[in-house]
This record gives sequence, C-alpha cells and structure tokens, in this order.
Amino acid sequence: MMNAKANLNNLIFKNILAIYQRELQSYFTSPLSYVITAVFWLLGGFFLVAILLGPQGLIAAAAQADQATQMGMAPPPPFDVAYEFNKAYVGLLGSLSMFVLPMLSMGLYTDERKQGTLELLATSPIPNWAVALGKLLAVVTFYIGMVLPLMVSQSVALGAATPPLGSAGFVLSYVGLVLMAASLLALGMFVSSLTESTVLAAIMTFALILLLWLVDAVAQGLPGALGEAFSHLSLLRHFTTFTEGVFDSSSLVLFLSFIILGIFLTAQSVEALRFQRS
Amino acid sequence: MIEVEHLGKTYGSTPAIRDVTFEAQPGEILGFLGPNGAGKTTTMRILSGYLPASEGTARIAGYDVHTDSMAVRQRIGYLPESPPLYPQMTVEGYLNFVAKIKGVPAGMRPQRAQIAMERCGLLDRRTTLIRKLSKGYRQRVGIAQAIIHDPPVIILDEPTVGLDPRQINEVRQLIKNLAGSHTIILSTHILPEVSMTCDRVTIINRGQVVATDTPDNLTARLAGEIAYEVEIKGDVNQAQPLLAHLAEVRQVEILSPDHLPEHHHRLRVTGHQDAGLGQAIAASLVHAGLELHELHRQQATLEDVFLNLTTTEPSAPPVPPVEVSK
Repeated sequence: MMNAKANLNNLIFKNILAIYQRELQSYFTSPLSYVITAVFWLLGGFFLVAILLGPQGLIAAAAQADQATQMGMAPPPPFDVAYEFNKAYVGLLGSLSMFVLPMLSMGLYTDERKQGTLELLATSPIPNWAVALGKLLAVVTFYIGMVLPLMVSQSVALGAATPPLGSAGFVLSYVGLVLMAASLLALGMFVSSLTESTVLAAIMTFALILLLWLVDAVAQGLPGALGEAFSHLSLLRHFTTFTEGVFDSSSLVLFLSFIILGIFLTAQSVEALRFQRS
Repeated sequence: MIEVEHLGKTYGSTPAIRDVTFEAQPGEILGFLGPNGAGKTTTMRILSGYLPASEGTARIAGYDVHTDSMAVRQRIGYLPESPPLYPQMTVEGYLNFVAKIKGVPAGMRPQRAQIAMERCGLLDRRTTLIRKLSKGYRQRVGIAQAIIHDPPVIILDEPTVGLDPRQINEVRQLIKNLAGSHTIILSTHILPEVSMTCDRVTIINRGQVVATDTPDNLTARLAGEIAYEVEIKGDVNQAQPLLAHLAEVRQVEILSPDHLPEHHHRLRVTGHQDAGLGQAIAASLVHAGLELHELHRQQATLEDVFLNLTTTEPSAPPVPPVEVSK
C-alpha cells in the first residue's frame, strides 16, 4: 500500500514534468508567441535606451545636476543613477508585462477545451492541480525566457555605472518581476479554464489585471485602515518593494498565495467542467 | 472486468441514462449499440471516470471509477467521441507524451509507441504534424493513444466514425486483434459493426438497456418474432400446453410476478410475427374455458431501437469514382 502510494507520487511528479514539457514546446511551435516576444523585446529595448539616453533620460538628468554643481548653483538632491535606472526599467518591464501576460496565459486551457484534449488529461492518472502546476511552470519558464535577454542588456548598461549597483538588488528586482508575472499568469490560467474562447480569455485576464491595478490606485487614495488593507493586497505595491531592492517576506507570501490560489481555482474549475458538460 | 450496476446520469432535470446494468468479461469485446442520443457517450464517459454518475456504480478491474479514479485511470485506454489530439505535435511526439502521462516507463516508451503505430498503420506518418493528417488518420492516432500503455480495458467511443469503408475494415480488424489480451467496450450506432466485431452486444435506447446478448441471438430474436403477455385465471398447467400446441407459437414461459390475485397466472407467449397470433391465443383460451384477463403485445422496444439504427453501411467503392457526364 505504501509502495503503491509512493509509486503514484512518483507518477504524478513525472506527469507534471510531461505536462510542463508539452506546454513549453507548444509555445515554441506557435507563431503567435514569436510575435509577442518580438514586440516585447522591441519595446523593452526601446525603453532601455529611452530611460538612459533619452532627452528626459537619467543620464541627461545626471549631467544637468553635475552642470548645476559646477556653475555653483544650489545642487539638486543627489541621486544614485544606477539605482534609479534599475528601479525605473524593471518597473517599466512590469507595466509592459501586464499587456503581454494575458496573451501568454490565454491559450493554456482554452486550447485544451477546444481540442477535446482536456478529456484525455482528465482520464489519465494525473490530478487536476498537477496539470495546472505543470502548465503554470511552463508559461513562467517561457516568460523568464522573454525577460532574460532584456536582463542581460540591462546588466551591460549597469556594468558601466559608478558606483555600481549591487548585484543583489538587481537580481531581487527581477525575482520580484517574475513572481508578479507568475501570480498574474496563475490568475490568467484560471480565467482561461473558464471559457473555450481564446480572445475572451485574453480580454478577461486583461480586465482582471486592470482591476488589480485599480486596487493599487484605490489604496493610495483611501485613508486609514481600509487603504492600508488594500495596499497590502496590491500586487504592484509588493512588486515595487522588490524593485527598490527591499526583500519583504510578506510580499513573497502574497505572491505565493496568488499563485496557489490560481492553481487551486483552476483545478476546481476544471473539475466543475465535468459536471456541466452535457 | 467491467461491471456496471444501475448506473444513472441526470443533466439538470433531464435523465441521460437510467438504470444501466451490464458487464464485460475479461478478453471480451462488448458492443454498446444504440441510436444517436441514446446515452452511449454518457456511459462511456462515466466508465472512463470523466463524468461522475448520478447514481449506481461502475467498476473496472475491481476498482470503482469514481472513488478509485486514479487506479482506474491507470488501467484504461479511452478514445473519446472526438480524438483528443494536439494539432501542433507530430504523431510520434504526441504518442510519446500520452505514454508519459499514462505512466509508461521511459525505457518502454519507444517500443510501445512503435507497437501502437504499427497496429494502427501510422508508421509512415510518424513525423507528420497531426494538424496535417486526414480525419481517418486522426482517428487512428486516437486509437493508438488508447492502446499505447497496453491497458487491460479499452473504451472506444464510436471508433469508426468518419472513416472510409476500407479504413473501417482495418479498424475493426485491429479491434478484433486486440481482444483476448484486452477487454474492449466500443459504442456504435451501426448494426453491422457489432455483428462483425463484438462477442456480445448491449443495446441501449433512450438511456435504458433494452437487451444484452450475442449478436447472433439478437438477430434471431429480431427475425420476425413477437411476444404476447397473457394473464389468465384458472389452471396454468392446462393453459401452457394448450398455447404451446398452437401452430404459430414457438415458446411459452410462465412468469411469476408479484402481486397477482389468487389463481391468476401470467404467461409470455413467443411466436412468429405472422398475423393472428393474438387472436389464436385468445380464441384457444376462451374455447378451453379459461378466463382471459389480459392480453397485450409486448412493447417491441428492440425492434424500435433497430429501426432507429443504421442498419446498412456504404460498401467499399471498388474503383475510384469515374467522371459522370450529365
């Protein structure tokens, strides 16, 4: 009996891996994911240059500050260019991702429903949550693949900075980015399990992300305990603490809660699908 | 191997199947025959563990499909109504994926995939993307995924639908070859299909089992037979030989239902469908001085079902179609 249980656990682990590989592979065979990645890189690269070298860019601002000091005018408050650059750029990637993530998660379950392959998965020895986990890991991996080249190009720019930005802060901000993305992807995965329409899934996920963004705005506007409560729930707020180079374990807990909630809701919604199917 | 007892499924308030009971022995091919909308797919889905039943139990290899779902899932191969395929994968990649999630050990997978492709005639398409395959080939890939892990029980929902006559023959041959080492249940709405492939047939209509028998017996039962149920008051030992000696009658059974008034008896009289059986029964009973309380023709449910079935199928075209001038 113990052995059978261990075998089943082993099988579940292998199955998560199988789902993960198939899902990841499906991103590489889909033309759409190439288009999304290309646009993401194009915009990411553009803003990298714009934030640093643009007319209102950080380098220009720093030069102005230097000039002001030399001319004997009152020096503006000093600022750490490398730190500001990292915070602004990773924050921007976060904003860009809000448009990209719904497009990555929209097909996770809608395609399975359309192709009827959900019936294959539901009659294979693999629990719903394991399917959801494998899928989420795959889409997060693909997202990391999208972000990685931008991270490298940013690190090249940062390498030229004096004083240099500590690599801990740099890495931490990207950890925050990936955690926020994983949370939103988990919710997007849940939304995609609700419908057979890919477009609808993308729009609904985007609406949900806007709503979460609104939570942040409301939190800033509301005074008192209510505003505080909202601000604790705001993904964006917690993401910002990561980009500021601050590791807050409560942020980690919030992101992980979102991810687990997403997987749980997806598993429940897939389970419920069986009951309503006629 | 497959035991189904009093299975029922209700969607909202509409019952899809009611009190479905049948079983399949190890190594047997059981046909599940019924017109479209009879509840075949619902039953198949319950057996595969995809749908939960509203009532009753279904057991596969001794495991309940609902409570021991994981154990059942490891022991079945299931081809749903539409084959569950990933269009962006190659045939081989897809079969490899299914082998993985069905728990085939890594070392066995290439061999199992090879066998499945061989049996389903897919070897020449192994590197083709599934979305580029014709419907017949997709169906074959669907069957291949159902047998890849060599499961003891194979559930096939309309396996020959959408195939051309030559492919249908191939698939039937394939199913026959699988029997013996596998227990197979297949659903169909085509009458000749069951007589060609199945050892036994369960006929379902409007969500209820109408009959379970071998194809030959079923055909015999249908060959112009009719049954009457008779209720009489008096000596049943007098009535039985009397009816049995009628020219039109083939068999007389004494039924023993509950709640019969005293001295009342019920008989089932089976005979040829020629006109006059009912009259002959009535006349002879009355003539013998027995009280005839009820005489009714048994509902010809089996016949009704067969009328709704596809009883013929297109024959294989011997030559490619020739241009017709109008």
